[in-house]
Amino acid sequence: MEQVILKYINEQLLFDNEMEEDLDSDTDLLGSGILDSLGMVQLIAFVEKEFMVKVPPEDMVIENFMNVDSVCAYLLSK
Amino acid sequence: MDLSWSKAQIEYKKKVIEFAEQNLNNSISERDHVLEFSREDWNKCAKFGIQGLASPKKYGGHEDDIDILTATLAMEGLGYGCRDNGLPFSLNAQMWTVQLPIAQFGNAFQKEKYLKPLASGEWIGSHGLTEANAGSDIFNMETTATKVDGGYLLNGSKRLITLGPICDMVLVFAKTNPKLGKWGVSGFIVESNSKGFKRSANKSKMGLRTVPIGDLEFKDCFVPEENRLGKEGAGWSITIASLEYDRCNILASQLGAMEYQLEDTIKFVKGRKQFGQSIGGFQSISNRIADMKLRLETSRLLLYKVAWLKSQGKSAMMEAALLKLHLSESFISSSLDAIRCHGGSGYLTEFEVERNLRDAVGGVIYAGTSDIQRNIISQILGL
Repeated sequence: MEQVILKYINEQLLFDNEMEEDLDSDTDLLGSGILDSLGMVQLIAFVEKEFMVKVPPEDMVIENFMNVDSVCAYLLSK
Repeated sequence: MDLSWSKAQIEYKKKVIEFAEQNLNNSISERDHVLEFSREDWNKCAKFGIQGLASPKKYGGHEDDIDILTATLAMEGLGYGCRDNGLPFSLNAQMWTVQLPIAQFGNAFQKEKYLKPLASGEWIGSHGLTEANAGSDIFNMETTATKVDGGYLLNGSKRLITLGPICDMVLVFAKTNPKLGKWGVSGFIVESNSKGFKRSANKSKMGLRTVPIGDLEFKDCFVPEENRLGKEGAGWSITIASLEYDRCNILASQLGAMEYQLEDTIKFVKGRKQFGQSIGGFQSISNRIADMKLRLETSRLLLYKVAWLKSQGKSAMMEAALLKLHLSESFISSSLDAIRCHGGSGYLTEFEVERNLRDAVGGVIYAGTSDIQRNIISQILGL
């Protein structure tokens, strides 16, 4: 799950983003500006489709989507 | 995608058109001239049930849950029947950027306290997001909410707020933790009688002149903790969640206006005679009508697709951006074509043709400019 999400972010959302360090599973995605709002919405749409879950608006919070680790924990709790 | 409407939905749209044509088309030209909002028309809409389309049944709505498909069709009907584009615009602003977020993120206390008066028309709600230095770059806002005993102190100002000068409450967004970037923004419900909260006077503008738009100021404005919408830091989610609904329905009313505009223009060019024949017989006129029809129908397909995706609980980022871009730009082009078809009469305010053009220009700016929509589309395409 973690690798699938990291791969998607790296290949689809960060294709032109020159990051100083490799994206890690605990890297803050939205708060640090690695992803913009649209990128985060794209990521949410991806996990919904890939892992066949529904992410209601009230779940789109830092606890669940701050980094890849928290996304994985959220998905496992569903 | 299933674009078939139920008999009940079509009947409801007809009722909305009938209601609007019979009740909402009074002295619009005069009110447009003097920037006058009609609270009477607002209340008529509430009594008919328009605002209730964005509230669950328990809180003044029609259905157990908000029905986006029916709402879209109804708001299209309102745009068709109501010649005042400002009224559907302001209604949609409250319904999808104030009521919907409260319905989605609010607790039982907040829903009971705010959704009912908003749905009944007793209260008017505005959405305070834009700032002088935070427009397209909206999460770069400067308004802060500092935690204090029992609540928060809000400081900052909001700009270009639809219904702001007359609102009874505002759903305002402020930074609670700037270190967290976009995750550090929270939403608060502020009542207009709160100490430290000030509404500006109505601002004059090019179009949508029957809608009061102005600034809001917060100076050590205390907001109790119970008025925070959702969790601390939920501001980003609240904004993103309502965006596609807002774009969908504000544009639904524009689509209705475009349909009426087309019918009205066809009627005019058939009746207007020059060089011994109806001007509609000239290809320079009929080609414009054909272009207007094409814009209408392509816009309709995009609109219904977004409404359908949202009704299925699906994301509609690309589709909403395509819709917003195409429909708002189409309304400008068709409004200009309508004026050209009407000739000199179309240029005169009293014929109520030119107003659509002035009203349409706002559409390529509010709720994400056309440039931003193009950015969204190209970014999703991987550029």
